[in-house]
Amino acid sequence: MKNQILQILLLCLVTTAALAQSVTVKGRVTDKATKAPVFGASVALKSDLSKGTITNDTGEFTLTVSGPDAKVIIHSFGYQDIEIQVGNQTFLEVIMDEEAKGLEEIVVVGAVVRRESLTGSVASINAAKISQTPTNNINQALQGKVAGAYVVSNSQPGSDASIKIRGNNSIQFGTNPIFVVDGVIIDGGFNTLNPDDIASIDVLKDAASTAIYGSRGANGVVVVTTKKGRSGAGKVSYNAWFGVQSFSKKVDLMKGKDLFDLRVDAYANAFIEKNPQGNRQQYINDSLMGPNSLAFAQYELDAYRQGKSYDWLDAVTRKGFQQNHTLNFSGGTEKGSYFLSFNYTDQKGIVKSSGYKRLGGRMNLEQAIKPWLKVGTNTSFTNSKDDYVDGSVFSVAAVANPLLPVDTAGYYLKYGDIENQDAYNPLRSLSITGDNISNRLLSANYVNISPIKDLNIRSTVSFDLTNQQTFWYTPMTTGQDRRNSNHGKASQRKDVYNNLQWDNTISYNKSFGPHYLSVLAGTSLQKNQYNYNQVDAFGFPNDDFGYKFLGGAYSKDKTSLSSDFITTTLLSFLGRADYSYNDKYFVTATLRYDGSSRFGANNKWGAFPSLALAYDMSKEGFMSNLHPISRLKWRVGYGIAGNQNIPNYAFASLYRPNYTNNSVTYVSDGRLGNPNLHWERQKQLNLGVDLGLFDNRLMVTADYFNINNDDLLMVKTLSTTTGFTNTVSNVGALNNKGIEFAVSGALIRKQDFQWNVNLTVSHDQNKVTALYGDTKAIYNKGGYTGVEIQRTGNLFLGESLNSVYSYKFDKIAQQADMERIKDMDFAGRTVHPGDIMPVDKDGNGVINDDDRYVVGKLNPKFYGGFGTDVTYKGFGFNMFFNYSYGLKRLSGLYEGLMSSSGVSAAHEDLKNRWTPENTNTNVPRALYGIPRYSYGDTDLGLQNASFLRLSTLTVSYTLPRKVASVLRLENTRFYVTGANMLRFTKDRGYDPETGDGYPNSKMLTAGLNITF
Amino acid sequence: MASTVSCTDFLDQQPQTALTQEQVFAKLENIDPLITGLYTNWRNARKDRGGFMFQLGGDESQQGAFQVRSEADQAGLDRYDGFLAPRNNALTQQWDLRWPIVSAAAKAILALQTNTEDEAKRNVLLGEASFIWSAVTFELTQYWGEIPIIDAGKLNEFGTSRKPLPQVYEYLIKNLQFAVDHLPETQTDKRRVTKYAAMALLGKVYLYAPQESNARDYQKAADMFDGVIKSGKYSLLPKFADLFDPSKPNSSESLYEFQFTNTYPDNNQTQWQMGSRALASIDGNCSFGGYDLMVPTAYAYKDATAGGVWEAGDVRKAASIRYDFIYNGQPPKLLSGFGGDELDPHVKKFEDPRTQGTMSFWYSGKNINYMRYADVLLCYAECLNELKRTPEAVGIVNNQVRARAFGGTLPTAMKWSEGLSQDEFRTKMLDERMRELCFEGWRRMDLIRSGKFVSLIKARNRWAAESNTIQEFHKKYPIPLTEVLQNEDISDADQNEGYLP
Repeated sequence: MKNQILQILLLCLVTTAALAQSVTVKGRVTDKATKAPVFGASVALKSDLSKGTITNDTGEFTLTVSGPDAKVIIHSFGYQDIEIQVGNQTFLEVIMDEEAKGLEEIVVVGAVVRRESLTGSVASINAAKISQTPTNNINQALQGKVAGAYVVSNSQPGSDASIKIRGNNSIQFGTNPIFVVDGVIIDGGFNTLNPDDIASIDVLKDAASTAIYGSRGANGVVVVTTKKGRSGAGKVSYNAWFGVQSFSKKVDLMKGKDLFDLRVDAYANAFIEKNPQGNRQQYINDSLMGPNSLAFAQYELDAYRQGKSYDWLDAVTRKGFQQNHTLNFSGGTEKGSYFLSFNYTDQKGIVKSSGYKRLGGRMNLEQAIKPWLKVGTNTSFTNSKDDYVDGSVFSVAAVANPLLPVDTAGYYLKYGDIENQDAYNPLRSLSITGDNISNRLLSANYVNISPIKDLNIRSTVSFDLTNQQTFWYTPMTTGQDRRNSNHGKASQRKDVYNNLQWDNTISYNKSFGPHYLSVLAGTSLQKNQYNYNQVDAFGFPNDDFGYKFLGGAYSKDKTSLSSDFITTTLLSFLGRADYSYNDKYFVTATLRYDGSSRFGANNKWGAFPSLALAYDMSKEGFMSNLHPISRLKWRVGYGIAGNQNIPNYAFASLYRPNYTNNSVTYVSDGRLGNPNLHWERQKQLNLGVDLGLFDNRLMVTADYFNINNDDLLMVKTLSTTTGFTNTVSNVGALNNKGIEFAVSGALIRKQDFQWNVNLTVSHDQNKVTALYGDTKAIYNKGGYTGVEIQRTGNLFLGESLNSVYSYKFDKIAQQADMERIKDMDFAGRTVHPGDIMPVDKDGNGVINDDDRYVVGKLNPKFYGGFGTDVTYKGFGFNMFFNYSYGLKRLSGLYEGLMSSSGVSAAHEDLKNRWTPENTNTNVPRALYGIPRYSYGDTDLGLQNASFLRLSTLTVSYTLPRKVASVLRLENTRFYVTGANMLRFTKDRGYDPETGDGYPNSKMLTAGLNITF
Repeated sequence: MASTVSCTDFLDQQPQTALTQEQVFAKLENIDPLITGLYTNWRNARKDRGGFMFQLGGDESQQGAFQVRSEADQAGLDRYDGFLAPRNNALTQQWDLRWPIVSAAAKAILALQTNTEDEAKRNVLLGEASFIWSAVTFELTQYWGEIPIIDAGKLNEFGTSRKPLPQVYEYLIKNLQFAVDHLPETQTDKRRVTKYAAMALLGKVYLYAPQESNARDYQKAADMFDGVIKSGKYSLLPKFADLFDPSKPNSSESLYEFQFTNTYPDNNQTQWQMGSRALASIDGNCSFGGYDLMVPTAYAYKDATAGGVWEAGDVRKAASIRYDFIYNGQPPKLLSGFGGDELDPHVKKFEDPRTQGTMSFWYSGKNINYMRYADVLLCYAECLNELKRTPEAVGIVNNQVRARAFGGTLPTAMKWSEGLSQDEFRTKMLDERMRELCFEGWRRMDLIRSGKFVSLIKARNRWAAESNTIQEFHKKYPIPLTEVLQNEDISDADQNEGYLP
C-alpha cells in the first residue's frame, strides 16, 4: 500500500456553488505515515507559482483560486509534490508521502521494474534515514538499520566499511554483497559514493529478489539509487557538517612502574624455576636491580627510579577533524529532469599526517527526445587524495616501551637493550610520505525506446573507470631504510580499473482489469579489465626530491619493476515475469543463465532460476473486519543464486617468469589449477510476512531463510607432495539459516509531537554439511612459518564455519594440582603453579594434537539495532543503537599483551596475575623465557564481544517555516550528532566490531542542511 | 551459431602474464627456464633461517640461547623434547618447501622423456632434472626415512604414500645414474650441475644409504668418488681460508655451490642468522653481526686440550669460527635481556666482508658450498677404510686434507698412523669431517650413519644435554601433522616410530 500511487484526495464538504469568479479554498496538509500536520508546505497555483501561500503550524492554509479549473501544487521538502484540481471543493485534505518512498521504480540490470514487484525479502532505506548518520561512507549509514545486514566499520580515514548480508554463505570468496549503483555493478570503492546523493538503498536478501543478478547475488545485493530532479520549481540544497574525531577506546596498557614490576617478577620466577633452592630476593637485588642488570637497561632503571612513564602513542596522534560539504541543484519539466551535485570532504586523521580529501560531482539527467524516445545518464566523477601514513607508526607506538623516553634518537624501539628491528621508531616513520590519488568516473547511460505503449526497449552502456596513482618515499632517516640498507626508497604505482557493462532489455508491462503482467528479457555483458605497474627505486643522494625523481636513484641493481594485466568477463541471458491479481496475489519467476570466464572451458555456464509468491491477505474482504490488522502480506520464495568470485585464472596452474641470478626462471605460484572448477550454487528458501497493525502504526516484517550452499568454493591447502601448496576447489556444502525481524512503531502521532521507534533483530547460524570425499576437516595453515594450523578458518564437518579450534583452557594450575599432574606429558611445556593447564580431552595423560578441538564459535546469537526518533515542533531527537549478543572474538592484541613478561607491552589485567598470594585468578603468573602454554594455545583469551553501542545520537532543530520563508528558505535544519559515543562490552581489545588493527573512533559532528 | 562462437570467445580469458603448466612443459624453450627455476628453489631451501633447521640439534652446532628461549618449536630441534613432534612448524616448513621441487622435477622428467625437439639438449635437461629430483629426495629420505616417491608417470600407481627404503633408494640410484650418464663434464653456467657433481652425489647415496635400504655399497661408492678424483678436474685450494673468500667463488675445489650475490632476492641472509647480536646492536652494518640463530657447540669451538675438536696448528679453526669480536678497536658488551652466549665463538664460514660498513648483514650473499672436493676425498677414504684398505685411506687424509689443514705440510705428530684399526679410523674420521666440513650441512647425515647420533649429541649439544630427552627414534623427524591430515595416503598409523601418541 505504501508504495502505491500516493495522492489521496478526499472531498469533505461542499458548501458553495462554484460560480463566483474567484473562490477561496481552505485545506490541511498532513503526513501520510505519521498523520502529523505538515507545516511550511507551499501551496501555489500551477498557472502562476508566485501566487501561493504556506501552511501554518497546524498544516492549514487558505488560498484564493480562479475557479474550479484551477490546479494547485503542494510542495514540501522531503515529500512528493501533489497536484490537485480544485473542482468544487472548498476544503482540501492533502496527504503527503515521503519522497523516497515515492520512488516506485528501481533500475535493475538495465531495466526498470516496479518496486512492488520485488516479491522477495527486500529492506529499503530512504534519504532521510541515510542522512541521520553524518558519514561519507554509505555502508556506515546502513549500520544496524537493515535486518540481516551486518556492517563492520573501518576506522581508518578513507577506508571502506564491510557489509555482510545474512551471515556466512560462502567460505572465503565474496562475502561482501554486490553493489548496484543506478544499474552499474561495482565491486569496491564504495567510499567514493557520496551519501548525500543517494535517494534510496534497497538491500535484496533472498534469491527471489537477487535472482535477476543471478551469478553474483549469492551474498546479497545492495541496490543504490541516486537522486533525480523532479518537475516543478528548481531547488538548491546545501549540506555541511564538521566533526571532531578521537579514539573511542584504547587498551589499558601497563605504565612504567607496573611493567617494571612485571619484568622483575617474570625474571625472578624464571630464576626460581631453574634454581628451586635459590634466593629470590637476593637475585632481584643483585642481578635485576643492580648496576649490571640482566633484565633492565640503564635508561629503564632511570625511568623507574624517577617514576616516569612515557606515552609514545600520544606523541603520534592528535584530534581528528572532518568536514563535508554537498551542494546540489535539481529540477525538471515534464520532459526531463536534472540533478547536479558537488561534494567536498576533508579528513585529518587521528594519526599524525594521515588524511583524506575527496572532491566529487554528479550529473543525473533524463530527457524525453520524442514521445517514444528517452535518454538519460547518471554520471559521477570523484577525485580523492589519501595521505597515507606508514602502518607501523601506529602499531609500533601502541605497544612501545613506557620506560623508553620519547625521542627520535633510536632507529628502532627497544625493551631492555633489545632493539627490535621490526619496531621502527614511529617518530622517524612519520617522515615517510605516502600519497594516493584516485580518479573515478562512474557513468550509466541509457536509451529507452517505447515503440508502442507499455513496451520498452532499453539499452544501457555503463563505465566504471578508476585511475589510481600511489607514491611512497621512505627517507634515509628511518629505521625501515636503515634495516634494508636502501639509502632512500621511492615507489610509484599506477592501478587502472576499466569496467564496462552493456545491458539490453525488452520489457512489456500491462494492466488489464485486475490483472497486471510484466515480462522482461535481456542480456548483460560485462568486461572487467585491470592492470597495474610499479617501480621501486633505491639509493638517493638526498631525501629532498621524495618520490618525484626516480632518475636520481643509483642502486640500479635493486630497482624492482612489476606489472600485470587481468581481464574477466561475464555474459548473461535473463528472463523475468511478474504477474499480480488485484494487488492481492503476486507471482514472480526469474531465470538467468550466466557464463563466467573465471571457470574452465567446460564449466563456464550456470543456470539460476527462482520463483516467488506473495499473498496480500489484507486485501480480502473478510479482513476489513479485523480492525487492528491493516496489512498482512505473506511471501514465499525459492531460488538459486551463484558465486564466481574466486582468484583469477584458478582453472590453470600458472608459471611466471622470474628474474634472478642473471637469468629468467619459470616458477609456479604454488597453486594447482583446477579445470573442473564450477559455480558455487546456493539454494535459498525464504518465508516472510509483512504485518501492519493499527492503521500501520505498528509494522512488523519477519523472515525465515534456509540456504543450502553446494559446491562451495575455497582455497584448499594441499599436501605439498602434490607439488603445489594450494588449489581452488568446490569443496563441500554449507547450510545457513536464520530469522530476521524488523519492527517499527509510531508511538505518538500528534500534531506537534511524534515519537517513532524501530528495532531489528537478526539471527543466523551455519554448519558445514559436507566436505569432499571422506574428509572430515580442512585445515587453515598460516602463521609465522605459514604452516601452523590456525585457530580459525578451518572447516569441520558438522561445525560452524566460525569455529575456534584449540586446546580448551582448564584452569590455572595450583600447588594442589601438582601431585595429580606430575606424570602428565605436556609436550615440553612447563606447568607449575600459576601456569595455564589445558583440558586433556582424551584423558590419556598426554597433551597433544588430539586434545585440540572445536571449543566454540564466534557467531553472535543475534544482532541488530534499535532507535528512537522524537520530533517536537521544530526539535528533533534521534538515537540509534546497534548491538550484538553472543559474539565471540579472538583478540590477538589482547592475547599478546597478556602474554607479556615485561619485555613487551603488557595489559593492565596482568596486575591480577597469579602469585602465591593471589591464586584465585585466571591470569597466569609472570615467567620469562620458559616454554609453557600461552593464551594463543587455548581459548582462555576468547573475548566475550557482545556489545551495545550508541551508534548515533542526534539533536536537531528545524527553522519554523514562518522564519524560513522570510529568509526565502524552504527548509533549514541544524543538528549535532555524536557518533559512537557510548559502548558497553566486556571485550578487552580495541573494539568488538572493528577488531584490533586500529582503534575505533568517535566523532562529534555539527551540521546544517539548507534548501531553497 | 555465430553468436555461440563469439560468446565462447568472449568468455575465454586466458592469463596474459603467466604460462599454464601445459605451455611450460610443451617445449624445451620453456622447460629450460623451469629447470633454472628449480635450481633457484633448491638453492633457496638452503639459505636464511630455514637453511639451517637440519643443522640445529647437532653435535657441532646448536641454537643460540635467546632463540631457544623465544621459539619453542624451533627449540625442540635442539632439545629433542615434546616440541619435536608432528606439529613442529619449523620442520613442517622444511618438508613443505621441498616437495614442490621434487614434484616439478618429476614433471619435467616426464615431459622431457616424451620431447623430441633436440635430443642432446633434452638429455642434458633430463640429467639436470634427475639430479635435482635426487638431491632433494635424498635429503628428505635421510631425515624422514620412508617417503613418497614422486614419479609423474606413475602418480596413479604410487599415490603419495610412504614407500619402503629399498624402493626409494632404487629410484635415487636410477635417476642419479641417468644424470651421471648425460650431464656434461663442465658447465659454464655455475648454477648448473655437472657429471662429476652427480657422480659425487651418487657416491654419497651408496655410502649414506641406511642398511635397511639394501643400497649401501662401499665399492660402488668408492668407484664414483674415484671417478671424480681421476677426472683431474678438481683439486684442493692451497689455502683453506680461500674457500670462504667471496672474491674466489666456484674454485677448483668446488663440485657445486649455491650461487648468491649481495642483491635481493639473490642474497642469502645467512649472516643474519649466524652473526652476533652484540655486534648487531652496535652497528647494523657490521659484517659479523647477526641474530645468533646457530652457534658452534663448545666441542666444535674448543681445543682438544680443553675437551674440544681442534688440534694445535690447524688453520681451519680460525677460518671456520670467529673468536674475536673486537670491532673498531672496541670490545663489545653483552647486553641485558639476551641469552648470554652472544660473545661466545660464532660460525665464521658465512661472513661476507663485502657488506662491511655499507649494508646490513641481511644482504650477506657469499656462495654456499653444496659439495667440495675435500668432502669427496674424505668420503673416498671412508669407503677405502670400509673396504679394508685403511692404509690407503689414511694416506689420502694425511697427504691431502690434513696437509692443507696444517698449512701445506703436515707435522709428523699430526699424521694419522697407517696402522689405525678400521674402527679407530671411523672415530677419527667423524672428528676430521667436523674440522673440515663443519656447518656445511652434512653433519646430521654423518651422525645418523655413524650410529653415534644419540650419544654424541647428548654429550656435545648444550640444549639436548639440558633436556636429556633425546632417543634413538629421533634420528628420523616426525612426518608433519598437516601432511598426515591432508595426505589421504598417509595416516596417523604411518607416523615414524616414537612420535605416535
